[in-house]
Amino acid sequence: MRKFIKEFQEEHFLKNFVKLGSYQRKFINEHDRMVMLFLCKKGMVMNRMYTKNVIETRNLTKIYKRYVKKEGIGGSIASLFRREYVEKEAVSHMDLQIREGEFVGLIGPNGAGKTTFIKMLTGIIAPTSGEISVLGYYPNDMKNAFKKQYAVVMGQKSQLFFELTTNDILRLFKEIYEIPEHDFQRNKEYFIELFGVRELMDVQVRTLSLGERMKMELIVALLHDPGILFLDEPTIGLDVVASRQIRKFLKEINEEKKTTILLTSHYMEDIRTLCRRSVVINHGVKIYDGGTEELFGDEEPGMVMERLYGEADPAVGSAPADDAAVDCKSPEDDL
Amino acid sequence: MKMRKYIEVAKVNFKAQFAWRADVIFNMIFTVSKILFAYLLWRMVFSGKEVVSGFTFHSMLSYYIVSSFLSQLEMSAGISSEIFQRIRNGTFSKYMIIPVSMEGYFVAMEAGIVLFYLAFDLIAALLWVFIFQIEFAFVTDVFILLSALCLILLGLFFMVQLSYYLGILTLKYQGIDTFLMIKNNLMALITGTIVPLALFPESVVRIMKALPFYYVTYLPSMLLIGRCQEEALAGIVIMVCWCLVLQVVIRLTWAKYSRKYDGVGI
Repeated sequence: MRKFIKEFQEEHFLKNFVKLGSYQRKFINEHDRMVMLFLCKKGMVMNRMYTKNVIETRNLTKIYKRYVKKEGIGGSIASLFRREYVEKEAVSHMDLQIREGEFVGLIGPNGAGKTTFIKMLTGIIAPTSGEISVLGYYPNDMKNAFKKQYAVVMGQKSQLFFELTTNDILRLFKEIYEIPEHDFQRNKEYFIELFGVRELMDVQVRTLSLGERMKMELIVALLHDPGILFLDEPTIGLDVVASRQIRKFLKEINEEKKTTILLTSHYMEDIRTLCRRSVVINHGVKIYDGGTEELFGDEEPGMVMERLYGEADPAVGSAPADDAAVDCKSPEDDL
Repeated sequence: MKMRKYIEVAKVNFKAQFAWRADVIFNMIFTVSKILFAYLLWRMVFSGKEVVSGFTFHSMLSYYIVSSFLSQLEMSAGISSEIFQRIRNGTFSKYMIIPVSMEGYFVAMEAGIVLFYLAFDLIAALLWVFIFQIEFAFVTDVFILLSALCLILLGLFFMVQLSYYLGILTLKYQGIDTFLMIKNNLMALITGTIVPLALFPESVVRIMKALPFYYVTYLPSMLLIGRCQEEALAGIVIMVCWCLVLQVVIRLTWAKYSRKYDGVGI
């Protein structure tokens, strides 16, 4: 039975789903299209039946309390005696399930609550209310067993020690994550080959370029084979070539290592080329959860976001020029 | 296996010090200049006198060299500022997401840094003993020597705990400058690095003996130059108690305030 399901999934789900999502869709007749759609849906159902949720949130809410002060010296003096606070709901009643091995894009304008959501998933901050389960753990308990099963890479916040070489840092993380020597050597070699950074391993991190540093961030994050990888703007500030390389690596890691990846990015090309599924949030509220292709269709990313947010997101479209001009493609067409 | 991660943290921080050569040189110059200053000061104080408050000129300089050496090793202030800066700029999560005890991480970090400076500070101290032909007073009793070493380790550990504690207070108060200033002033006075505590009135010394700072550099220095030997055991017991109390306070503070961390910053 399991063999049949596996074959069914491989034959009908993977192939047909890929084909349906691609450029060829335009050239198949209506009958074939219906058959493929049916098989695709069957495959999705099967796929969903035999993979588990690794991330589950229900009614997840985060409210920040901010201190406000009236303008001028008078306001400053008054604040010594009486403080005023305002509340901001950064994430509001978020329901989300992510299955093992999925590559999900989290999209939203600045201040939408994307990073706050990731911080709650990783346990860095505690939710104000709601339910949350990541790999079966309540993240904010900060259990070491949980921390060993995920990794976070934040484009603007480095995890590296700038005075050290990458080799030194990898050795440190080997001990911190208690990785057996054999696994350590195997993973290290795999990532050095994948990222093509052999000659940079003995160079001080502070002397690396932004693109090189991001590769090192990913190697360090992935060294312990995390089940989930949280990526917050990993291509921010990178040039076209470096962004494309990072996307290629992420795609390979998702496919080869079956790592579940949750990616936030303002660069829609990151989302369109990598994520089959996208979640759009605005003002902390989920406003879309579904296929990335269905989200974008043939529209320009900026137009889509304007339609969703009700206003233009200035960050969208600021990706490297040739990326922004790329038409909507399936993940398999690019890279 | 668990211990290995902390040993590696210490090794990494030890190695990282090699990147800052100027720091090493200036640290040595600072040690040397402090001893030179003390030599000139106490030479004036002792002009025409053989003994001041039970100290001869040479025993006073021995005390100064040992206490300077120990206070140079106490470099835990960096922990407070590291935690403070990272909480303020939202990068403290770097430590939160790795599977280690955060306090253990900082203890290991401090150990790595101290080990690095230990050699250089020792060379600087020994140089002065030879240059000024100081008749260096040093304890010969093995029990007292071991007690002093034990107190030094407890003192350094206590200071790491205190710096860590003040650092995590940033979660509550957002700024810890005042706490650090109070700590530094108390330290300078009570650790006896400015003036030996033996020069203070008896009532003041009695109060100081109840506080942990007395045992950080002052008592170990006195033990190493062969004085206050009767206080060794009591000192160890008091320091162990202080470390335990502070550990409980740290746990409670972290449990109460860690939820205040919002990971946002400048």
